[in-house]
Amino acid sequence: MAAGVATRIYPFMPGGAADGTRLVSGAVALSDLTDKPRFGLKGGGSAAWLAAQGIPLPPVNRIGEHRGMRILRLGNEDILLLAEDAAETLADVKAIWQAAPAPKGYSSWREEGWAWMRLSGPRLAEAMCSLCALDLRPQKFGTDDIAQTRVGHIEAVTFRSPAGFDILFDITASAYFARAVAAVAGHAA
Amino acid sequence: MKLLTCPMNGPRNIDEFQSFGPVRAKLDPNATADRDWSRHLFRAENRKGILVEWWRHVPSNYFFLAERDLVTNEIIRTFDASQLRDRA
Repeated sequence: MAAGVATRIYPFMPGGAADGTRLVSGAVALSDLTDKPRFGLKGGGSAAWLAAQGIPLPPVNRIGEHRGMRILRLGNEDILLLAEDAAETLADVKAIWQAAPAPKGYSSWREEGWAWMRLSGPRLAEAMCSLCALDLRPQKFGTDDIAQTRVGHIEAVTFRSPAGFDILFDITASAYFARAVAAVAGHAA
Repeated sequence: MKLLTCPMNGPRNIDEFQSFGPVRAKLDPNATADRDWSRHLFRAENRKGILVEWWRHVPSNYFFLAERDLVTNEIIRTFDASQLRDRA
């Protein structure tokens, strides 16, 4: 493949495993952010290494912020950096991590292993209520909270984004998840 | 819906959890008689009473311990594995 051309094919792209699966739009809308930059570290030394880079780490199941990146603490030594609008900052962190000596944790490969989708729309609350058993009302689930639970019958990590809810889950379930959301949106509409 | 309280994630549907069986003593194979070692490998206890078990919250891959009454199936408490280490 020619230099400069994307070499990764994500599920909903032409040629991807979920190619042709419809993403709902309208009162409930699902969008795919799987090609957005992110980087996960896991295992002993992850938290200490990130802290040594000046990245402030929130408590477990909370979200922090650093130079435009969202810092998701999924466990004591399981941290995910999301960089929807901070690709360069994230690329710097990754480059420093790759060159750094151990202990530094290991890559949890979230950019390839997980799909990243966003649920939004005026009927978001009803849809989310059908997809997830947790109480996600704003008074119970704040903007810096993380829920590691089931969404649409699959294991997922969910949290609020300005537009709605972001959901991270096993990338191989992309088409299944899109269909589960479409079914719920059909009932919510 | 049956609930189990994960020490890290809070109360969740028990569907989100996987049981990994009772916490067992770690025997030294070199210092254990063959009969006891065989029993350790192949026999499972099936007594009444309260047992400490390993459980995993699947979405977060978090392993923790739960005390369960084997007669009533009531989960008495759940706690982080570090508490067991601290007690030992």
